Amino acid sequence: MPVIQWFKHIKLAALVAAIFAHGPLVADQMESAKDLLARMAYASKNLSYQGVFTYEYRGQLRSVKVQHLVRDGETYERVTHMDGPAREIFRRADNVDCIRAGDMLLRGGALKLDRGGYSKLEDLYEFHIRDDVRIAGRRAYRVEILPRDKLRYGYVVAIDKISGLMLQSMLINQSGKPLERFQYVDITFSEALDSVPLPAELVNAPEVSQSDCLISNQQVEPLPSQWEPKWLPPGFILSSYQMQDDEESWMYTDGLAVFSVFIDSAERSRNLPPVDAKLGTTVAVLTKAQFNNQHYAICVVGEIPRATAQQIANAISPVILTPQAQQQGH
Amino acid sequence: MSDSKERLAESVSALMDGEVSEMELHRILKEVGIDQDQSTGRNSRGSVRGIWQRYNMVSASIAGDPVTMTDLSGSIAAAIDAEDTHKISPFANLMGGAGRFAIAASVAMVAVLGVQQLNSPDPASADAMQFTQMDISGAQQNNGPALQFPAGFQPNAPVRTVASGGNVNTSRPAAPVVTLKPSVQRKFSERELRGYMDDIMMKHSNNAALNSNHGMLPFARVNAAGARTDKE
Repeated sequence: MPVIQWFKHIKLAALVAAIFAHGPLVADQMESAKDLLARMAYASKNLSYQGVFTYEYRGQLRSVKVQHLVRDGETYERVTHMDGPAREIFRRADNVDCIRAGDMLLRGGALKLDRGGYSKLEDLYEFHIRDDVRIAGRRAYRVEILPRDKLRYGYVVAIDKISGLMLQSMLINQSGKPLERFQYVDITFSEALDSVPLPAELVNAPEVSQSDCLISNQQVEPLPSQWEPKWLPPGFILSSYQMQDDEESWMYTDGLAVFSVFIDSAERSRNLPPVDAKLGTTVAVLTKAQFNNQHYAICVVGEIPRATAQQIANAISPVILTPQAQQQGH
Repeated sequence: MSDSKERLAESVSALMDGEVSEMELHRILKEVGIDQDQSTGRNSRGSVRGIWQRYNMVSASIAGDPVTMTDLSGSIAAAIDAEDTHKISPFANLMGGAGRFAIAASVAMVAVLGVQQLNSPDPASADAMQFTQMDISGAQQNNGPALQFPAGFQPNAPVRTVASGGNVNTSRPAAPVVTLKPSVQRKFSERELRGYMDDIMMKHSNNAALNSNHGMLPFARVNAAGARTDKE
C-alpha cells in the first residue's frame, strides 16, 4: 500500500510544516491592528514629513517627491513628479481638526447610516498583523486587510512603528494578486520642517471647503439631489457632496475604499457613449440616462472591482417626487 | 454487477465527464492497480479499464467518431520495461526512507504555503514577479462594444479585439488601446471622451485625496493617466 504510506508521510510533514510556518507569527506581541489603523489615520493628517515615494502599476514605475507640512492646524502639500512630464502640485489639504467620514471609520468610529444601522470597518474587513518589515530605512508593521465580501479590494499596508505613517500600500484583487504598489523610498519627519518657509504657491493655494467635516457620528447631510443610489455596497457611506453648475459629485467611502459618482447634464457629455473603462486600478463606468427630457451622464469612478462599479451605476435612479415626474426615457 | 462495481462504474462515468472529486479519483486509481494485479492481459468487463474502454467506445460512437479498440497501455508498459534501469546509488538507497519523507515534507510545505499564498497574499515573496504578471486578463482583454477609448484607458470586456502584441509577461507599459470600427456612426470624438475622462479622474483623485487615508496615493494614480495623455 505505497499510496497510504505516502499519505501518512504527507500528513506528518504537513503538521511539521504548519508549525514551522506559523511559529514566529504567533510569538510576536504587537499592537492590535485596529490601534495601528487609528494611528495611521491620525498620522496622515497631523504629521509634517517629506519624502520620495514610488508608485508601481503593471511594470510601470513612477517616483514622486512630497512635502506634507502642518502649520497652525492647516495643512499644505507639495507634490512633485520626478519622472515623465514635469508636474508639480501645490495644494491645501484639510485642516487638522477636520474629521471626514473615512477618518472616522479608520479611527475605529462607527457611523450611522441613513438607511439604519452603522457602518463599521471590522464588519467589512479582516485585519491581520503579519510581520515586521523595513521600508524606506524604517521599521514597520505589515498589516493585511482582507475584504469580507467580493465587492471591494483588499490591502497590504506597512505602518511605520514610530510615526504611524503608512509607508507602503498595495491594492490586492480578489484572487490575491497585487494591482498596484505605493511605497516610500525615503522619508523624514525632522523638526526642521516646522520652520521651512512656505513657498508662495502654497500660501496662495485655495482653501479646501470644510463643509463635509463631521461634527458627530452622523454621516454627511443626505443628498439634496434628484438622483439617489438604490443600491450601495454594504458599509459605504456618503463622505462628500458637491454641486457645481450642472454637475454634482458624490463621494462614498467604507473607510478604506472610495468611489465617486458624477452626474451631469452638460452639453459636453451629451454625445458621449456609455463607457466601461479602466485606468490603472481605477474603473470608470459611464451610463446615460434621460429624465424629464434632459440627458444625463452618470459616471461611477473608483478603486473598486468593476462589477461593483457597474452595479452601483445601474442602481442610480431619479428620485420620484410626483407621478407626473415619472415620464422618463430609459 | 455487484453493488460496489456499479458504484465504480458510476465513478468512471463521472471521471469521463470530469466531475469526480479528489477522493473518488483516488479510489478509481487504486482500483486500476488492483485490476492489474489480478487480471493478466485482457481487461475484464467489470474492471476499471474495461469500463473506461467501453464507455469511451460508446461516447465515440454516439459522437460519430471512429471506434477503436486499440489499447496502448500494453505496449507502453513494454516500452518502459525495455528501458535501461537507472542504477540506484547505495547512498540513495540508504537515504530512501528519509528522502521520501523529505519529498513528502516539501510537498506538504508547498501545499501549506500555497494555501497561505492564496488566502493571504504574502508580498514578501517575488513582488516584482507578481507585478509583471498581474492583471493580465484585464490588460489583455479589449472591449467588445464598437467604441473608441482614449489612449491609456483600458476598456473592460470579455472579448479581445486588439492584439497587444509581445509577451504577456513582459513588464511593458500599457500600450494605448484604440479600437476603430468605421462602420459605426459615432457622434462623439475621441478627444471629447478623453477630455471627459481625464477631468473626471482628476476630480476623483482630488476628492479621494481628501476623503481617503491613502495620503498622496491618489496623486500618483492620476499621474499615470496624465503622463500618458500628455504624450499624445
